[in-house]
Amino acid sequence: MFDLPTTNIGGPELFVLEFGDIVAYFSPYTAALFVFALIFTVLAIVSRPERQVDFAFGGDAYYTKEVEANLLRFQRFMAIACGLATLGAMVTGDVFNFTLFASLVGITNIGIVAAYRNRHVLNAAFQYGIVVMLATVPLFGGAAIVLASTGTLSMWELFTGAVAVPLFAKAFLVLGVMGEGMAPFYIAKAEITRAQGAPFVLMVHVSSLLLFLRVIEIVLSM
Amino acid sequence: MEIAYPVGLVVFAAAIIIGFTALVREKDDLHRILLTDLAEILALVLIALVATDLAEALILPGLVVGISELMAVSEVYIAKEGLRAPQEPPFRIEVMDSAPGILALILVAYGIVLSGFTGGVIAAVGAVFYFMCRGHIEQFELIETVSGYAWAFWIGAFFIFMFLPGYWFFAVMIAGGAILIKVMAKMSLVGTMRGGGPDV
Repeated sequence: MFDLPTTNIGGPELFVLEFGDIVAYFSPYTAALFVFALIFTVLAIVSRPERQVDFAFGGDAYYTKEVEANLLRFQRFMAIACGLATLGAMVTGDVFNFTLFASLVGITNIGIVAAYRNRHVLNAAFQYGIVVMLATVPLFGGAAIVLASTGTLSMWELFTGAVAVPLFAKAFLVLGVMGEGMAPFYIAKAEITRAQGAPFVLMVHVSSLLLFLRVIEIVLSM
Repeated sequence: MEIAYPVGLVVFAAAIIIGFTALVREKDDLHRILLTDLAEILALVLIALVATDLAEALILPGLVVGISELMAVSEVYIAKEGLRAPQEPPFRIEVMDSAPGILALILVAYGIVLSGFTGGVIAAVGAVFYFMCRGHIEQFELIETVSGYAWAFWIGAFFIFMFLPGYWFFAVMIAGGAILIKVMAKMSLVGTMRGGGPDV
């Protein structure tokens, strides 16, 4: 019943799950991304957090940083939620659902970073939060323009050759995802990686990488 | 529709230019939060311009995402600036001592009569007023738990719609009641949440 209209980018569909008119699917491409996200989510669940050690420069002294258990627990929860949002963004077959998952990734990224009481890290998280909030304008705006110009949000319709999505909407969508998921790369990466909790901070980077790969696939297929 | 959409787009473009210019010029962090919230409304404007039933359904998740981002950034701001909850209430007037019980009761009861989203908001106003006047120490965990169960019921009702369409009336009643409780619980958290711990 369901055949992916374009198979030259994501490959043919492997599995289709139908919720009314919202149809989630796996293609070889998205399945690979899904497995990648799943591995890192499982890592965030099972791994033990790192303990940071600061060396005093010029001597052999060092001191270990105390990390509160409840902050770590919060950070782990946010990392797992971020992994689940990434999984959702990989499988969804609906543009608006994709934008919602992308903004969920943005919120959880703020949460991962903000669970640390260092002034510089909090400042970086704040700037990132401002960008995330601004990025919802092009993100939802892109989805709204897609809906207004084509009358549908389903990727099954949008990927067919009969439906032409304006370049403007595609640009908005990519811009929005860059703001939501990828802000650490240009704003706060140095400050964020200063935050403790190695496996959890890693999730920020994994989610932004996967989101970008997915949005590029969507935009090329449309 | 043919005229309204381009005109709306022009207004949107003007608004977004004004908003982003203001953001670039503004240096105060608190004001920047408020300006980003204004800019975020523009995304909803763009969705609303589509003016179909589907667009109407898309506004709500957009709004929820926007509010949750605003709350997350505000919490970061509070932690960043080291702000603390005020020790004593900022203002105290006589009606806040005598009215909360009866007023909250009326609002919540009227909200239950309305049911659905609107009822949830009305009932939430009653709950917010009550908490504002009577203090809010440890009701939050209970509210969050109730909200979680109500959400699960809401989703369950949608599964009934999908898999057992014949029982739609039953599902409508479950969904209406659950969304009432969920919206009320969520709304009553807005504005009263202050981190909780002494370190925030």
